[in-house]
Amino acid sequence: MQKVLIIGGGGGGLILANHLDTKKFDITVVDKSEKHYYQPWFLYVAFKGSKRKIDRPIASLLKPGIKFVKDEITEINLDERKVYGNRKGVYTYDYIAIATGTSPDPDATPGLREIYNEYGDYHSNIENSMKLWKHVSAFKGGTIAIGQASPTVKCPPSLLEGAFLLEEHLREKGLKDKSRIIFFTPFPRAYSAEPMDYVVEPMVKERGIEVMPFFDTDTIDVQNREIKSIEGDTIKYDLPIIVPPHKGTKIKIIPEKVKDEDRFIKSDKFTMKIEGYENAFALGDCNNLPTSKTGVTAHLEAMAIANIIQGIPSQFTGRINCPFDTAYGKATFVIADYKNPVVPYPPTRVKHFMKMTMARIYWMTLKGTADPIFEYFFSYTNPVKLNKKYPLPK
Amino acid sequence: MTEARIIDSRGAACPGPITDLAKAYRNSKVGDLLEMWATDAGVKADAQAWAKKTGNEILEIRDDPDKIVIKIKINKR
Repeated sequence: MQKVLIIGGGGGGLILANHLDTKKFDITVVDKSEKHYYQPWFLYVAFKGSKRKIDRPIASLLKPGIKFVKDEITEINLDERKVYGNRKGVYTYDYIAIATGTSPDPDATPGLREIYNEYGDYHSNIENSMKLWKHVSAFKGGTIAIGQASPTVKCPPSLLEGAFLLEEHLREKGLKDKSRIIFFTPFPRAYSAEPMDYVVEPMVKERGIEVMPFFDTDTIDVQNREIKSIEGDTIKYDLPIIVPPHKGTKIKIIPEKVKDEDRFIKSDKFTMKIEGYENAFALGDCNNLPTSKTGVTAHLEAMAIANIIQGIPSQFTGRINCPFDTAYGKATFVIADYKNPVVPYPPTRVKHFMKMTMARIYWMTLKGTADPIFEYFFSYTNPVKLNKKYPLPK
Repeated sequence: MTEARIIDSRGAACPGPITDLAKAYRNSKVGDLLEMWATDAGVKADAQAWAKKTGNEILEIRDDPDKIVIKIKINKR
């Protein structure tokens, strides 16, 4: 039986494992943690104080017959097909899929470590999200600076989702008149992709969220409460909400040249095969594909890899489908693929309901039992079709 | 004349090219030449807005058959 080794029990790793035939493959998932988190909910923990349980044991999310090992991987040697763990020693494989996600790097920006420790954020982990809610719920007025500390973070819509939910919170608490929200971004506009900016920019304006475009964070002066950009601008804050830079895996990979300068693994954008290797894949946030780092890309990449390993020709199309909560009970989706630009898809209540439903059926998604629902949804929201239905005004 | 550093953003859709440009700018110094290759048409307006904001200079924007080429001189960093 051929051995498939999957490093990482996040969305991509679990979906891949659960879509392989256990009668034909000996499948092992390794993760340093026993728990899997539904990361999109960090947003609601940080801005709404949600107490929903969003973790499950990884072992409980795998089909019978798939092994789970708790171990911290320190080295992957692609040439020798050997993987070294801290606890359980050496693993061998016929196929390997690296699905280790991103790691937040608050030390990449001078001053950010102190903010990260004190205020948390809404991307890194559950503890940080709870920390941020403590500050958001205790906020009594002043200037809130919210944004990303580098161009590379996961889940592009989540940045503005944070600003929108924050504005809704301040309005509900009667603090809107005493507060300013400054949204800073390294991109030319509030939402990086122009068609979606066309949709959300009027909402940003109407809600009084001030946007600082081309603001790529350089340093943070914690003493004077100032964020400075490479472009030469400064923001003074009372409450800083800063998503740290995201980097790739810290695991040593041989050969080292398969990683780029931010530690993301160079992989083929259609097959996710690591450059130069037929039996090694990098999947989800840890690869360098020219697409967004989101759950749905990890999901669709995993489905394609499962097919490729099982001998069924398959390609990832670059499809993104990111739920985007615009607050006040509405949401939209950021939809595109390699060939088709982002759709200017308007927010509605139904889409918000779909986003919330997704949070409920997420656990089924990992096991593959929600596949028919997704197949229908993905064909219904095909970007070619949608771009015809919602053309961008010239 | 210094040789231009190539930023290859071909195949990346917006904001991929600007992400790559911002990253390259982080590692630049005054006098550097950057040459950006992209396929996403939005890059032209975005690169011009970027240059205006950062005080850097667009030397050339050229449409090759297979790519858009943008040459940038770093005047401020």
